[in-house]
Amino acid sequence: MTLNELNKSRIPIIPFDKKLEELSKKVLAPKKLELANNLIRKFGIPKSIQPK
Amino acid sequence: MSIFVAKIKRVRKPKYHYKSEPNLNIYEFISEGRNGVIRKMVEFQKTEAEGVFNLAFGDFDENTKTINDLIISNNGDSQKVLATVASIVFVFMEKHPNAMIYATGSTESRTRLYRMGISTNIEEINEDFNVYGLRTEGIWEEFLIGEDYEAFLISKNENKLSV
Repeated sequence: MTLNELNKSRIPIIPFDKKLEELSKKVLAPKKLELANNLIRKFGIPKSIQPK
Repeated sequence: MSIFVAKIKRVRKPKYHYKSEPNLNIYEFISEGRNGVIRKMVEFQKTEAEGVFNLAFGDFDENTKTINDLIISNNGDSQKVLATVASIVFVFMEKHPNAMIYATGSTESRTRLYRMGISTNIEEINEDFNVYGLRTEGIWEEFLIGEDYEAFLISKNENKLSV
């Protein structure tokens, strides 16, 4: 796909950023993850929706 | 420059351009509004439940290199920000079609913000996804506009769930 085609494209195009790659090596919101895990432990997710 | 071309339709509402990294787990965009320019980040975090990713979203704290989701930016662009996050969810789910996305706010007002984001974009979201809400009494149900929920779960339509 050419740059011109990309610019005219109607679908999302997401550039990659090296700085974000560095950030991806750690959890950026650890308290949010803890909160989610606590809720999952407490209420679970319905069995029927757990991945096989 | 490396890019990812998502084979999905665009979210039709105005949204910000965003960038990511090759795993498509972290996204960044810039909010521009009455309080200036704010660096926003979205992170999909693996939870203890297999295949379930928690959605973390907020302002990026340059000092701690973490996402702060307690700050109320009041930048006057909340609809555009929420449409951007919705678009990012579409992209993440294209990359991880069997994943489920878990979302809950750190505060009640933040959870209401998520609810507003889902409600505002529910027609577009339902074209591809199922949305479920965890009621305050701990029961999962299909998302209903106007109901209060503790958390939300999103799956692809192919992974229709019974609750």
